[in-house]
Amino acid sequence: MTDTPTIHFKEQALALLPAGANFDACLTCGLCSSGCPASGIENMDPRKFIRMAMLGMDRELSTTPWVWCCTQCKRCQHVCPMSIDISQLVFLARSNWPRELKPAGIVRSCELIQATDSTSAMGLPPEDFVFVVADVLEEVRSSQPAFAHLQAPMDKKGAHFFVNQNSREPMNEPDEMVPLWKIFDLVGADWTYSSKGWAAENFCMFAGDETAWYEVIKKRVAAVEELGCRVWLNTECGHSYYTMWQAISRFGLEVSFELESLISYYARWIREGLLPVNSDWNRDGIKFTVQDPCMIVRKAYGESIAEDMRFVVRTLVGEENFIDMQPNRSANYCCGGGGGFLQAGMTDHRRTYGKRKFDQIAATGAAYVLTPCHNCHSQMEDIGHHYGGSYGVVHFWSLICLSLGILGENERTYLGPDLLALLA
Amino acid sequence: MSATARDHWCDLAVIGSGIAGFAASIFATNRQIATAQVGNTGAIAYTTGYLDLLGSLYADPNPLVNPWQGLAHLRQEEPHHPLSRLPVELIRQAFNEFTTFVTNAGIGYTPPGDENITALTPVGTGKQTLCLPTTMAAGPLALAARRAAVIVDFKGLKGFSGRQVVANLRHCWPELCSARLTFPGMARGEIYPEVMARALEVAGTRRELADQLRQAAAGAGCVGLPAVLGMHHPDRVHQELEELSGLTIFEIPTMPPSVPGIRLREMFEQLFPQRGLTLIPQQKVDRLSFTDDGPLLELADNYGPVTIRAKAVLLATGRFLSGGLVADRNRISESLLQLPVSQPAERAEWYRQQYTDRRGHPIHRAGIEVDDSCRPVDRNGRVVDPRLFAAGVILAHQDWIRGRCGAGIAIATAFRAVAAAEQLLRR
Repeated sequence: MTDTPTIHFKEQALALLPAGANFDACLTCGLCSSGCPASGIENMDPRKFIRMAMLGMDRELSTTPWVWCCTQCKRCQHVCPMSIDISQLVFLARSNWPRELKPAGIVRSCELIQATDSTSAMGLPPEDFVFVVADVLEEVRSSQPAFAHLQAPMDKKGAHFFVNQNSREPMNEPDEMVPLWKIFDLVGADWTYSSKGWAAENFCMFAGDETAWYEVIKKRVAAVEELGCRVWLNTECGHSYYTMWQAISRFGLEVSFELESLISYYARWIREGLLPVNSDWNRDGIKFTVQDPCMIVRKAYGESIAEDMRFVVRTLVGEENFIDMQPNRSANYCCGGGGGFLQAGMTDHRRTYGKRKFDQIAATGAAYVLTPCHNCHSQMEDIGHHYGGSYGVVHFWSLICLSLGILGENERTYLGPDLLALLA
Repeated sequence: MSATARDHWCDLAVIGSGIAGFAASIFATNRQIATAQVGNTGAIAYTTGYLDLLGSLYADPNPLVNPWQGLAHLRQEEPHHPLSRLPVELIRQAFNEFTTFVTNAGIGYTPPGDENITALTPVGTGKQTLCLPTTMAAGPLALAARRAAVIVDFKGLKGFSGRQVVANLRHCWPELCSARLTFPGMARGEIYPEVMARALEVAGTRRELADQLRQAAAGAGCVGLPAVLGMHHPDRVHQELEELSGLTIFEIPTMPPSVPGIRLREMFEQLFPQRGLTLIPQQKVDRLSFTDDGPLLELADNYGPVTIRAKAVLLATGRFLSGGLVADRNRISESLLQLPVSQPAERAEWYRQQYTDRRGHPIHRAGIEVDDSCRPVDRNGRVVDPRLFAAGVILAHQDWIRGRCGAGIAIATAFRAVAAAEQLLRR
């Protein structure tokens, strides 16, 4: 059996400290552990991790499976008075695990991403993606007269937006792509899919495989550059944004396009009147809450995108029907679907982690959670079922189209009976 | 390309997010001053939730009963103490405004009274304070009345022991006993007050806990718990638990990180942006400079550089823990502007021989010098910049720990500094 090499964590931790920070200032106050949903799993927590590093317990840290339960959400750093970033040490530890000992699901997803030009973690090759898009488009055009003109451009050179797409849609629920196309149609966006580098997931970072992470991003950057798009538009996914945005500075990549999140554009299009959504449809006062994905809120944009998201939700469901989770925005808890946890095969641990998210949602009493992240989406559905919750999880695009009265019959997968009744 | 600059403009920039910084933002927004606040976690998560004005006079080993009279003594003994330099009426106003704001925002506080309250510490000793969260208010009353009560702790919760609280209080509170419960849904491993508090925001958890409390009370009618009664609606959680259990319930602060401080921080972080304040949480200012146009704050968050241009700036950066003061082997300095720091002449004088020396340690009295308008002054007593103000425990000539006066200094000097800044801004 392969051994895991031992990392000198203290040395690494000291090298990774931000300017002005030092471990002497760590009071072991425990804000990190107290605020971490992974605390206690595998008998580990962030404070213990740091103290063990300082004590030179490198063997234990190099081999603890806890590094696959920490989602690297950076909440520990966020609440630490000394700004100590434990997630970087976790990334280091993940990188250090021999490939054959790493959780097979994450490794496999990274391999599949590298296997085709699609960069799809589900291994969907370019020609299949092109086929599915064309097929679904054809179906919509013929079955929905109001959208007989609908476009889903592929490899359109010079388009303004290069739009990525989580593989789950073309692979498992292709009709879920349609609401987004309708939104683009409505606002008159100049956009395109690409047959290459289109996928919105990147498990190579979660696998701790820096080389593969870099290769995937290089492929995606090349795909955007090849089409000459101005904006790489990240759709409703969290880590696909973070892995691209972070990689560009981490690996010193030169790119000639902007990285943007679809959430900001939803907000902008609503403000500009291009997306005339309102909450009139919500006549029964159905309550909604929103999940801030760590990858785009705490770890990237910060409060600005959290505000955009709330503006969109309030407009969509009505001010009085929006209930914020507590805590929220940059202080929000990771749901436990991040970091490859969903793919890691550690179901019990993942659900233990997710209990805090479940409590947060339950405390709102909301009937639905909106989130622009596929991993958050899957995890919140799963913990909802597991802990006996009664809430649903919906994409923004579904609710936007519902509000506009253009949500097709096949596009209602995530709507519960209360929402479906409104459409009847 | 992956770093996007953002610029903010405001009239008053508050640096720091402890009690002083948040108090300054309360006073500023109440006065319609366009305010921006930036500061990282700091020490607020370590507070008990008590708002002390003055709990001890250094010369007197006895707890101080009347803090308002105590201020008069303080003025004689320590004329340079920040509280000695403020009119008593102003301090009262500051406390009133602060507690009213916080209460209206959803975290009930008892209003400042004429006398100190003897409140409970996590280990079951008493301490003098002026105001406390309403979730804790029944504790001192039960203590004063020697009412039969049970102190409850929880399996897996470190740093709070019902037995310890009882052991320290039993000599004066005979009908006090303790019980240990298993917190609903947290039967295994270490558990944290923060997690328990959030779990009690869920109705089902409250019902389960209320059942357990009723049994544990065993006819006592009154139960003391670690401070875990909800995070965002503590008064509602408290009230509902009392109704469900039929008991009088009070919280006792826990060891840090403690829920009452996190409650305050998360409440401020939500409320201020709604009131138009620009809040940049969890970040430290890297550089503060004064241009012809006004103070310029520079910092960076995950997303890139941020600047704040203000007309006036208020330093509420705290002491060593929060980074307002830094010490090397020999000297103590102020971190942002290198303001002169009043301090012992040599390192050898920082500490006294005995840790528990009643006179306290000289290092605790180090800090920056200000004038009566809370404007930092240089070694010659000249105002460093008329647009610069300072508040809180960064100020010199006080030992807030020994004097039990940390919140008092923070709230009162923030009030004074904001009033002075307002004068400047209205000019």
